[in-house]
This record gives sequence, structure tokens and C-alpha cells, in this order.
Amino acid sequence: MFFHIVLERNMQLHPRHFGPHLRDKLVSKLIKDVEGTCSGRHGFVVAITGVEDIGKGLIREGTGYVTFPVKYQCVVFRPFKGEILEAFVTMVNKMGFFAEAGPVQIFVSNHLIPDDMEFQSGDVPNYTTSDGSVCFCLISSSYESLHHV
Amino acid sequence: MYGWTLKPVALIQHCLFVGFVEEPTPVHSKSNGKASSGSLKTGGKGSSFSKGEGSKGKAYSGGKGGKGSSSAVVPTKSDADLKLDLDIPPNSRILMNCEATELLQEIHEHMAILSEDPKIKIPESFDKAFKYAKDGNHFTAASSVKQALEPLKKCGVNDGEICMIANIVPETIEEVYALVPSLKANRSLNEGPITEVLAALDNIKAAK
Repeated sequence: MFFHIVLERNMQLHPRHFGPHLRDKLVSKLIKDVEGTCSGRHGFVVAITGVEDIGKGLIREGTGYVTFPVKYQCVVFRPFKGEILEAFVTMVNKMGFFAEAGPVQIFVSNHLIPDDMEFQSGDVPNYTTSDGSVCFCLISSSYESLHHV
Repeated sequence: MYGWTLKPVALIQHCLFVGFVEEPTPVHSKSNGKASSGSLKTGGKGSSFSKGEGSKGKAYSGGKGGKGSSSAVVPTKSDADLKLDLDIPPNSRILMNCEATELLQEIHEHMAILSEDPKIKIPESFDKAFKYAKDGNHFTAASSVKQALEPLKKCGVNDGEICMIANIVPETIEEVYALVPSLKANRSLNEGPITEVLAALDNIKAAK
């Protein structure tokens, strides 16, 4: 489901960017840092639609960087438990099938597929029912960071 | 690589996916991420849940490596369990696919100019989300959809459920109750308005 949401972020800017275009530099950095990211709380940040407020900058001791609190509006995409999603199947195998709903990757295990859908191997593997169509309801989700410690 | 559009006919009531934290259960670091044991509560890829409505009631006793349940019969999910669990901050607004398409279309036109600069890279998630919103949009104008759905607010249908109806575009009232089971609780109150709304949405649907 898509949401239009207001988020806040502390942006750090190097003094070399100070000048008449400081705000533009901040916004560019915000877009570069935030768009395309994903968080467990808000989901995928699809696009920033506007900047509401840029607070006063505070100089960080020792580094000279300045931290600006920035409030911005953005479109996010996040699925929820109980949501009905339309998704596009990308791969089918005997373990289940993978699908995509926008930027979200989905896996449906064969254990969670009804009995009346049988896996058909071959050139185009698929799960088939008599009427040939399916949709699913989300019961749970998990977020995994790509950075393993 | 295959692409199917999944059309709502039969309801699979359980699935899992790689996405976002819903529950504060730890994700096993050695898991492949595609089967979150925390989300299944019983561990492992296999599930000890039985199938939902429309199934033949086959139950599992634990699947692959999961803790599982030793009993043969596992209780099915009730309508209350399948209720849309929206946990959104107060300063946010739900967007239907039609609204998201219009918003992202403006940004896309702006990005087309920016993308000429080689230093600016458009995120892949934007393209995927934009395509998803466009493909899931069945209407020509978001404002007319919003107007058509307005009566549902008066009969206790929340924003998330309204959004789901707009996104899925059910054809019959029974389909609405099958896909949004939480509405069944107030069926006597909302059945009439929902039927009228479905007829109104049918009139403003874009030809595809």
C-alpha cells in the first residue's frame, strides 16, 4: 500500500557546500540519501515529494560538519498484515513461487499453497488450478538488512 | 523470468515474504530471509498453519525444519486474524494506486529531466513502484474514485479497507467480503453502500 508521509532526518553537510545554494545542496543530498532506501518501519521510500522545513544547523564539534534537521514529505510503499496484494509471479519452482509487488519481493512456500493447485514442471513451471488464477493475503512479513554483522 | 498477473479468484490465506519488520521477533541471521521463522511463529520454512477458506483443510505437522505442531489438525485463521493491521504514523495519508500513479507521474516527468545528468541515478525502487501503481490503477481520475468511495466512510469502513477496495476493484459484494473479511461484522450496515460504490466504480473504470 502506498502512503504519503512526513518524515524527519538529520542531514550533515560539509562546510564546502555552504553558500547561496546551501538549501539546494541539502535537498539534493537528502534525495540521494533517502530515495530508494527501505526501512522496517516505513517501508520503501519511493520518492520525495517536497521539503517542509529545514531547521537551524548545528556545528558538530571536532569535524566542522553541520547537522540540519530536515522535515520532508515522501511517498512510501509498505505492505501490511491482512492486506490483499496483487503481485506478479517472477519465478516458480517446486518449493513455491516468487512474486513482486512493486519493489517488494514475495515468496509463497508450497506448504502454503492450497491442495488444488499442483506444481507442473516443464518449460514453463507453474501451479495450476482448474481456473488458473490466484491471489494472496499477507499474514506476516519480515525485513532483513543486507548488512550482516 | 515469467510474469503472471494474479487475479483475485481463490484466496490463499497464508504467505510470507521478504519485506519489513511486523513483529519484534528476531530474524535468524542464518535464514535465507525468504522464510522468516519469526513471522511464522513456528520456525522454519514450513508452516504449521492449516489452509484457510476454500482449502481442503490439509494440515501440516511442522514442515521443513520448523518447530511445528505435533498435532495433525491446526486451527484456521479467523476473519479477525485476517483483519488489515495498519500501523501507520499519525502524519501520514494512505494513497490508492490511482492517487499514487498521478503523484508518481509528476515526479517521473521531473526525473526525466534530471536523468539527463549522469551524476543523478534514479532508484530502481521508483521505477518498480511507479510501474506497479500504473498497472494496478484501473481508473482514469483519482478524484472521481475518491468521490465514489466517500459514502463508505459514513458506514464505518476505515481508510485502509477503502483503499483495498479501490485497488482490488472487486466485481461483486461477495468478493468484497471474501477479500476484506473485517467488513462482514457490519454487513447489515455497509452492504447497501458497498453495492452502490461498486456500481459507481464500474462506471468510472478505465477501458483496458
